[in-house]
Amino acid sequence: MERTRLMSDAASATPTAPAPSGTDPDGDSAHSRRVAKAARRGRSRRLRRNRLLQAGVLVVILALWWLITAIKLVDPLYLPSPQAVLGAFIDANRCLVVDESSGRSVCGVQNYYLWEHLLASLQRIGVGVSLAAIAGVGLGALMSMWEPANTALAPYLNFLRALPPLGYIGLIIVWVGIGDLSKFLLLFLAAFPPIVIATIDGVRGVREDYVSAARSMGAGSPQIARFVVLPAATASILSGVRLAIGFAWTTVVAAELNNGIPGIGGLAYISGTQLKTPLTIACIIVIGLVAVALDGCIRWVGNRLVPWHGKV
Amino acid sequence: MTERANHTDRPDSADPVDSADSAETGSVVTLEGVSQRYITDSGDVVHALAETDLEIPEGQFVCVVGPSGCGKTTLLKIIAGFLDPTGGAARYRGATISGPGAERGVVFQQPNLYPWFTVRDNVALGMRMRKVAKKERTQKAQEYLELVGLADFGDAKPYELSGGMQQRAQIARVLANETDVILMDEPFGALDAITRARLQADVLALQRKQHRTVFFITHDVDEAVFLGDRVLVMSARPGRVVLDQDVTLSAQAGRSLGEEMRRLPEFIELRERIAGAIEH
Repeated sequence: MERTRLMSDAASATPTAPAPSGTDPDGDSAHSRRVAKAARRGRSRRLRRNRLLQAGVLVVILALWWLITAIKLVDPLYLPSPQAVLGAFIDANRCLVVDESSGRSVCGVQNYYLWEHLLASLQRIGVGVSLAAIAGVGLGALMSMWEPANTALAPYLNFLRALPPLGYIGLIIVWVGIGDLSKFLLLFLAAFPPIVIATIDGVRGVREDYVSAARSMGAGSPQIARFVVLPAATASILSGVRLAIGFAWTTVVAAELNNGIPGIGGLAYISGTQLKTPLTIACIIVIGLVAVALDGCIRWVGNRLVPWHGKV
Repeated sequence: MTERANHTDRPDSADPVDSADSAETGSVVTLEGVSQRYITDSGDVVHALAETDLEIPEGQFVCVVGPSGCGKTTLLKIIAGFLDPTGGAARYRGATISGPGAERGVVFQQPNLYPWFTVRDNVALGMRMRKVAKKERTQKAQEYLELVGLADFGDAKPYELSGGMQQRAQIARVLANETDVILMDEPFGALDAITRARLQADVLALQRKQHRTVFFITHDVDEAVFLGDRVLVMSARPGRVVLDQDVTLSAQAGRSLGEEMRRLPEFIELRERIAGAIEH
């Protein structure tokens, strides 16, 4: 909707673009290219304005936070100052001498630097989501193309999707222990349903005339799957993976409640129980920022893989 | 039905499947008492197509014209193999049609090139599926792009083309696939009048060069008379052919004419007659 409005705005801004090329049989491609360019310009201007607005909100929040702690409105145990959080963040990434006489020093927290905690969590998410993507796309393809599979499995998939990971983490630990396997399994189970559902949606949503056209070009089922269904479903599958990574982030703290060190979720939890609130807040901010950055990466990959999205 | 010598010597005609019978008459598509009924969600039986007999000879450009809901698209889907008729038999070169096939290519009303391929790869896709070597299919795709006036747009993505250009590319995609019968379902219906007139003239010129067997659906009487060797008029509920009209002017003086054809008294007379048949 927004896009069409922009396009028409740009079109009225350049009303008489003469098509210079004699090679264009319908005469309007050069024009439409200029329209697209003008629309892109408008879009980037709007993007800049939006970024500015978002940065403004951040400044306001930081200022309020600083003000509340500076005038000691709240006990620093509950809400530490931004400086304290920054300090905790820096300390968690370096070695500190704790005993001047012996020269004994402690590096990071819980024997790991903060970035090592983060890396450990990212690895778990990577393994869990990757396995979920492989299994989820496979099962989704099966369920969307073979109705009996869908009938048999859809209710159980919805059952699994509705369960909060915190609810069954205890059971998983009983089954497979408190090692990394329980964390992989929990993240896998959290990431699996959205990928299956997105794959089913993607395959079912393939335009019927795309398939008809391929069949009347002589395509058999494997060729339709390869040349038509898979590329057409890619956008939906990627948005399922995006959703799954989001779920995995929200689940990682639950997965790391027990024996979660190293792990950024485990660190956030343990520092909270030890009343090290500056570190807890630092962990939360890191988790949030990395999640946003990761989401940006997936979107970037998506735009690369599915450049036609929203254009057809 | 008209017999024209120049239509029987198509150089690249596909192998006849069987049936000496259809080979004798030269029919590419034969419909015998084909009908179509379906049941709506509310349980009513709709008679979309009454028993229809039709023979389409080699190289003929048949236009089907009629109001929406007259069963013309049903007819096309049956020939394409997208739909099994509930009565009668549909045959392609004597063999019963049991599904879609490369010998019956379809040009759809909405542009439906695959956006994940370039325009050239779209045109070459049928050949790719038949395992034609890459060099050969790229070269042939380029030839057909040139034929439809898109020589410089092979590397573009479909969504970078205008609607008219996308339809040209769709036509090239079907032509490049060695299609025997081309089925076109209101291919210019979604285009503006100017682009539409340009494409009609180009398709006419193309047909005079290639002599393909074409089954062309439109709701535009002028388009039907302009392009067709023969015009079928259909009426609705149940859909049936009410007029089967040869366009003789195109065999004579009109054959060499383009846009000027529309001003011939014969052309205008035919157009009126067909428009009259639709109203009844």
